[in-house]
Amino acid sequence: MWATARRMASTTRSASSAALTFELVGKCSTTRARASILTLPHGQVNLPIFMPVATQASLKGLTPEQLEATGCRLCLNNTYHLGLKPGQEVLDAVGGAHKFQGWNHNLLTDSGGPMLLTPEHSMSLQNSIGSDIMMQLDDVLVTTHPDKARMREAMERSVRWLDRCIAAHKYPERQNLFCIIQGGLDLEMRRECCREMVARDTPGIAIGGLSGGEAKDDFCKVVATCTEQLPELKPRYVMGIGYPEDLVVSVALGADMFDCVWPTRTARFGNAITKHGVLNMKRELYAADFGPIEEGCGCQCCRPVGQEGSLGITRAFIHHNAAKETVAAHLLTLHNVWYQLDLMRQAREAIIADQFPAFVKKFFVGLYPDGQNYPSWAVNALRGVGIELLGR
Amino acid sequence: MTVDTEPQEPESTAMRFEVVSSALKEGTAAAARVGRLALPGRRPIDTPNFIAVTSRGTLPHVTPDNISKHLQVSGAYFSLEDFVEKSQQNLSRPPPIFSAPTSTNHPTPLYSFTGTPSHITTILAARRLPAVPSPIGNSTKSISVFTNTGFQNLSTTDYLSAASTLEPDITIPLADLTNNSPPGTSPTSKRALRMAERTDEWIADWFSSPLSTSTSTFAPVLPIPYPIQWEYLSRLAEDYIPSSQLSGLAVHDPDIIPDLATHQPSLLSLPLLSLSNPSNPHLILRHIAHGTDLFALPLINAVSDAGLALNFTFPAPPSSGSPPLPLAVDLSLPSFSTSVTPLSKSCTCYACKSHHKSYIHHLLQAREMLGWTLLQIHNHATMSAFFGGIQRSIKDATFEDERLSFSRAYDSEMPAGVGERPRMRGYQYKSQGGEENAGKKKNKPAWQKELAVEDDKVEVPETDGGRELQEKGVGEVVKGSGR
Repeated sequence: MWATARRMASTTRSASSAALTFELVGKCSTTRARASILTLPHGQVNLPIFMPVATQASLKGLTPEQLEATGCRLCLNNTYHLGLKPGQEVLDAVGGAHKFQGWNHNLLTDSGGPMLLTPEHSMSLQNSIGSDIMMQLDDVLVTTHPDKARMREAMERSVRWLDRCIAAHKYPERQNLFCIIQGGLDLEMRRECCREMVARDTPGIAIGGLSGGEAKDDFCKVVATCTEQLPELKPRYVMGIGYPEDLVVSVALGADMFDCVWPTRTARFGNAITKHGVLNMKRELYAADFGPIEEGCGCQCCRPVGQEGSLGITRAFIHHNAAKETVAAHLLTLHNVWYQLDLMRQAREAIIADQFPAFVKKFFVGLYPDGQNYPSWAVNALRGVGIELLGR
Repeated sequence: MTVDTEPQEPESTAMRFEVVSSALKEGTAAAARVGRLALPGRRPIDTPNFIAVTSRGTLPHVTPDNISKHLQVSGAYFSLEDFVEKSQQNLSRPPPIFSAPTSTNHPTPLYSFTGTPSHITTILAARRLPAVPSPIGNSTKSISVFTNTGFQNLSTTDYLSAASTLEPDITIPLADLTNNSPPGTSPTSKRALRMAERTDEWIADWFSSPLSTSTSTFAPVLPIPYPIQWEYLSRLAEDYIPSSQLSGLAVHDPDIIPDLATHQPSLLSLPLLSLSNPSNPHLILRHIAHGTDLFALPLINAVSDAGLALNFTFPAPPSSGSPPLPLAVDLSLPSFSTSVTPLSKSCTCYACKSHHKSYIHHLLQAREMLGWTLLQIHNHATMSAFFGGIQRSIKDATFEDERLSFSRAYDSEMPAGVGERPRMRGYQYKSQGGEENAGKKKNKPAWQKELAVEDDKVEVPETDGGRELQEKGVGEVVKGSGR
């Protein structure tokens, strides 16, 4: 009875497929940002979400328990790498990647990319991995590829490959296959691809081929064009996106899911992601800086000493061991993953409270405190969805 | 309103060590013993036991949250040389650790700088364990230490001042050790005599200087024969035990303990910490049989880096005339690729409860850092259980028998480990002349590693064998993605 009452009181709408439920719980009244709950075979995740990348079934030195403690409930594995090591036979023998790496939450795998031979092989491998979300094999060209005919061919081939993937997918009742929209920077081609892909009714939809060196303006146009066309009650995943500005703008444009190796890779180079930008802890500046990696951050490293689970890690200690002891990389990885997940948590709360535009402005002021040098691509993209960064 | 309570002892500021039980029999000079070492504010350490060995202030591969959650380790060895390198950009900057602010959770600069959990007993020495040999000798008032930016001198007064500032629970004063002779060789008798004389002088300076009362001193016992250092050792016994300034001994070669028992029995009332870096558990057992209470064990870090999971228990499992068991499992071997059993059957550590050999084999193959982390957790847990078994057997007076069975049950040495180690860092070794040219580089060139696997941005030739693609310009795709 309580559950019924709650459902009636909210404007929640949801859609389900065999192995996934998508529940829209909030929409920004200005931009296209959405907050939702995605229920997958290994539990519920809140969208928008950043998904850290555990390339080889391990998140760069963190134990699954530590990754869980950051709040992560969905992370990536790379099909190509798992196909090489440990290999499909081992995955089959062990019973899939969840068991293999001791991760009881959700996994998403990419298609394995052009290293794999066929859509069928990609599906077979992803079925062995047992990921909660599998990606179709697509024909990726860099978006800046000059040959329009070749681009169209890649787009059309990706559609045909989706059909082959759907046919080859052995476990649609327990693994979700997402399609990938291609079409480069040609917005008309993207629209056409959206129509074709949507018609195939996969449980979720990815926008692919981006983050390959195109201008940020073009990137935003493609995301906006696609989200405009996509069904409301399906998750939308923009692949390969990880810079905080890109995440916030893409959320404003109506995307829900993101992944990128950058936050964890840059941690290993001694870089900390903060609301004031990326700080390189190897700089002499931080040698005797006894503040937390980021003031006000709630991660285990930074939360104030005395709070539950606080480690009291200082910038000085990270500086002392960056690129020397692996522990410094592990600690920065903990921090950076937390930062990315928390950014999306905050965006989500702002959307539900219908305060998202204020959140976006506050976020950009944090990065550009003088209010002057906002990147024009972000200004333009946000203007397109009703947020004026340059206004008061 | 008052609540009746047991009369409580006031919180003591002094270290306490008591021997609970000893296997000492009539006529024997030194023997295995069970004790408890308690430092104010720290988790007491039941002995015999071991302490972890840190590198640059951290247990290698294990973050402080994992230390608190998953290790039973109660003590850690720190070396000052890991913190005092000269900054190349800012030569005049004093080592930052000396100005690290303290708090209740991190009560001394050593804790706050390194993030070491406060239940861990901290032990400070000048040099890493094992120390990188220095080509420069020690002088009358200083020793040569090896930092991340090269060799430098550490004077006795600088070391005293560092110890006073950092306030470790236990400090080991400087010893004049030969650090330029090849390992395994003993110094000439002339050199040995000077080692004893200098160390003797230094300890006198040390105890005549004001030192924080919260630091207990463990005096070094040199790796030279007793007759050469008897004057130094008798001074320790006769001057500094009565004055309560001496709290323990840091023994470089525990085989001297029987001599101490014969000539300076009062020294054996002190806790004995071994810095001898034993290479296998048989040696540990031998030193325990002499009466060693605590071990700093760099062996564990080395074993984890080698991809080995320790696999022994004390007492040893009953053997039925079978060949000796290996002391460790080499997880790099391909035979473990599909093995879903824990690293060791009886182990209850986090790595064994949550993971299996197959995964750890994979992590080592893929050179993922988590492999070393999980091995560190397992290997420290195995060592804790080993020492727990030793304590029980001493109490039950079965130690000597069990020690004999153990020596029969297991191989005499650790396996080498075929896996590739983590990259060596500058502070971990000194390259010897000619090594680089002789193809003996410590690390593989970085580009090889990158070629192997670096996240998902691997440059792999596109081999999409789909027939359509082969016909229509795969080459273009490759070109395009390079831009």
